[in-house]
Amino acid sequence: MTNALTFDQFLLILRIAMIAVLYLFILQVVLVSRRDLNMAVQYQSAQPAKQVIGHLTVMDSGTTKLNPGRRFDIFTDMTLGRGPTNTVILESTVVSGENTRIYYENKSLWIEDLGSKNGTFVNEQRLTSPRALKLNDVIRVGDVRFKITA
Amino acid sequence: MKQILSRIVDLRNYRWNELFLLILPSVFILLGMLNLQYVSVSNQGKAPSEITASSLPGIDTLGPQLLLIVALFATHIILSWLIPKADQTLLPITGMLSALGVLMATRLGPALPYPIPVLGYRQLIWVILGLVFCIGTVWFTRSIKWLSRYKYTWAAAGIILVLVSLFHSLRVKNFNSPTHDQLNLGFGGVVFQPSELLKLCLVIFFAAYLSENREVLALGGKKIGPIHIPPLRQSAPLLAILFISLLLFLGLRELGVALLIFGIFVSMIYIATNKMSYVLYSLGFFAGGSLIAYYLLGYIRDRVALVANAFLPAYANNTGFQIVQGLIALGAGGIFGQGLGQGYPYFVPAVQTDYVAAAVGEEFGMMGLFALLAIMLLLIYRGFRIAMRSRSVFEQLLGAGLSSIFAIQTIVILAGNLKLIPLTGIPLPFITYGGSSVIINFIMVGLLLRLSAPEETA
Repeated sequence: MTNALTFDQFLLILRIAMIAVLYLFILQVVLVSRRDLNMAVQYQSAQPAKQVIGHLTVMDSGTTKLNPGRRFDIFTDMTLGRGPTNTVILESTVVSGENTRIYYENKSLWIEDLGSKNGTFVNEQRLTSPRALKLNDVIRVGDVRFKITA
Repeated sequence: MKQILSRIVDLRNYRWNELFLLILPSVFILLGMLNLQYVSVSNQGKAPSEITASSLPGIDTLGPQLLLIVALFATHIILSWLIPKADQTLLPITGMLSALGVLMATRLGPALPYPIPVLGYRQLIWVILGLVFCIGTVWFTRSIKWLSRYKYTWAAAGIILVLVSLFHSLRVKNFNSPTHDQLNLGFGGVVFQPSELLKLCLVIFFAAYLSENREVLALGGKKIGPIHIPPLRQSAPLLAILFISLLLFLGLRELGVALLIFGIFVSMIYIATNKMSYVLYSLGFFAGGSLIAYYLLGYIRDRVALVANAFLPAYANNTGFQIVQGLIALGAGGIFGQGLGQGYPYFVPAVQTDYVAAAVGEEFGMMGLFALLAIMLLLIYRGFRIAMRSRSVFEQLLGAGLSSIFAIQTIVILAGNLKLIPLTGIPLPFITYGGSSVIINFIMVGLLLRLSAPEETA
């Protein structure tokens, strides 16, 4: 019986096997996580890239720290407001958390007020319902004024 | 019934990853129980000189710990019915950690030989109960919003529980014990630790409160030069709850829990507002508060002195005995460890609770301890990833807060065991022996699983 293991050898094998199982498990979880990440990346690259439709040019920065003349890209869907999640953040006391939404639908650009306290104005008319935007329209959000430029 | 079956047997979208990942934890339990069985036989002087295939013990002699494998696979099947699209790594990761916990409890149980060592048997029951609670949490939080609706109720419930246990412990607790006992609340033999529940309540409260007020906290308030002063009206309820819980635990000498609550607060407010100034204020407050506490409270001075001088003869055989023995146990383990069941962890007092990491280090070595840390890290990584992919701000903050609990607990107890910071009794998630800790950890995993499942539109 030269093939039989002694007791100590058997315990040594068990000891190595247990550590090996722990590290194999780590490897497995890492591989699964990596596959997850790859899938997420593929999903994102499958989405159409955000298209720049035009620009919002700051005309009057009010009490915010924006520089007049600064241009923001207009995407297919964007929001303006004071909160940190907005596309364009306006740190002004008269701007609401989520003040205004601009979006692209049916081949034209639309603007909508998101129930803000001080409202959204297009060419100094307060918005009551979504309205289509044209080139060179002037938008006022709180004390900040923008112009739609190409 | 047909609908249930069709959801489970949707082969293309079945939780295959989870199923495959559960295999290795099961193998780990089998190997561990086999190992413990052989060591116990050899301790009785009945070791066989040679091992052949026919002398291997049958499955039935390995002990009831194998029920854990059954419980894990049963949970897997129930989850694939309840939330088929939820994260698939959480259950295997927690399964592996609790397998290690059950094995360590079995090994450290008062009597190693068969029949059932008591600690391992109890820990097994706690883990199975924990899995039941995990499924229950997933079931009851189908609409997770109700958690945020009752945020003050959660905070109040947690604090009241701690207050009750405060009065209870003033009668019972031994304030002179060197390592202090965890604060307990007994109900007819079942001991319950309210601090475990309080941390969960506080994370839900912080997540709900910050998701409503984070914009004002981030941008409101006054600015004096470069210094940002947070708005009082929005920060007052937050600070009130924080201070009540901190004072309670400082008074109860639960430094670890106080540190945990403070850590949760700092990480959550930073994640919510993205303002470095809050972190700086908190660190300043922490430094100042620690200094004041150091001069006011004698027991904190004792703890710090203990860490600084543990190896001096005056301490090493007295209050520093536990720390010194823990370090010796880790040293005895070396790189590859003594092998499960073959070390001498009993020299460390309270080894199954405060010092379970030292026992793991002695028997599995540095390799085993690093593997444990890596698995813990994966758990935290998955938690933060779930938080990042959540839909609403409340869910993101909840996920991040729950993951922070695991991270902070691991750091605080391991750093304490390694004599890097004053030792505090806080459980190492899933591995420390203890019922309330295991059950609350599984409830937290249930919440994370629910957060990771895309909302059903049916």
